[in-house]
Amino acid sequence: MWSDENKERISKAIDVGRTIVHYGWIPFIIYVGYTRSNPQPSLIKLISPLA
Amino acid sequence: MAAALNEKGTAVPPTLVTPPSPSSSASSSILSTVASPFTSLATRFGNWKAGFNLPNPGSVENLQREVKQTHLTNFIFDGARADLTKGLSVDPAFQVTHSFSFGAQSAPSSYHFSAVYANANLLLQGGVGDDGNLNGRLNRQWSSNNLTKVQASLTSSAQAQNMIILEHDYTGSDYSINFKAMNPSPINGTGIYIGNALQSVTKNLALGLETLYQKPTPDMDEFTTSYLLKYTGDRKDWIATAQLQPAGILQATYWQKLSDKVEVAADLQLIAAPQRREAITTLGAKYDFRMATFRAQVDSTGKVSALLEQKYGPSFAFLFAGEIDHLKNAAKVGVGVMIESSSLTPEEMGYPPQGYPPQA
Repeated sequence: MWSDENKERISKAIDVGRTIVHYGWIPFIIYVGYTRSNPQPSLIKLISPLA
Repeated sequence: MAAALNEKGTAVPPTLVTPPSPSSSASSSILSTVASPFTSLATRFGNWKAGFNLPNPGSVENLQREVKQTHLTNFIFDGARADLTKGLSVDPAFQVTHSFSFGAQSAPSSYHFSAVYANANLLLQGGVGDDGNLNGRLNRQWSSNNLTKVQASLTSSAQAQNMIILEHDYTGSDYSINFKAMNPSPINGTGIYIGNALQSVTKNLALGLETLYQKPTPDMDEFTTSYLLKYTGDRKDWIATAQLQPAGILQATYWQKLSDKVEVAADLQLIAAPQRREAITTLGAKYDFRMATFRAQVDSTGKVSALLEQKYGPSFAFLFAGEIDHLKNAAKVGVGVMIESSSLTPEEMGYPPQGYPPQA
């Protein structure tokens, strides 16, 4: 179905995508939540467990 | 599962389980002319079925939900733990949680951070542990009938433990369909694919099928189909379910709401394969008090366990868990604390301004 070259490209793309999701997912949620929250919270309250 | 896919993108009325016609992709006029007997038949079948006015049986995933909510198997823990939840916004919901756990017999001390964002039709959830493992979840509600879920669990070490689950739910008027793909590979098609459907047959009884297609390597595959049954009492105060797998595994559950505050549940798991024969029964009860929830459970392997969740005010709860395994002579004890704080004033959180107890 796929040529060997394309197979390699696809698996490479999956690897890159997985790395992006792995490191980017939590920051992405925090960004979405931070920008759309109502009212907008302060950043220190967002990150620190004690504040 | 083919039905689920057909349902999504066609003009076939949504009250159909199995559109028998090839009209699914009919968009050109010739095709629609050829298909019209089938579509009209399908419409008539749909109307005939809608005439029975059957209720939606719930999804296959939630078949045993009431039992799982009553039993404490999913809630018990050992060692000490603390969950600090911070609500940052109510609409849309946005909260972050810091969880600490230590002293457990089975796992080392750990820290876990998670964040949830949710509005009416989108849910984003993510959690990361101190070991670098990530759990993520995305649910998108396309319409009142269609829900797509993506789940991922990514590890920083071995590649083999990564897991991606793609799921689509279709909820009809009197049936539910779900299609799931676990670790699907676009290169050689390996992975696990599950399709299931649950259809109301009478007001109380729902029957279903679940088919699992496993393809661990490109030249090896396997089909397994299991059968599902759900019977709901007239007043919805009791539910009995059964799931039969061809390998000789039967799981039967029974749940009953005895009063507003008391629920009981029983679960029987029977394995009658040629090489292995065993059965496990679990009995559990859940009591909901005004400021506390108590769960107790006993099973046929000799385990007795209990879990108490005591709330002190709206934002502070203590958890006590205990389990004694009489056959293995082992015991587990857990103590936990859950603190919910908020950066919002009570009015902003939607509480009425009066009658809100002062926070300690």
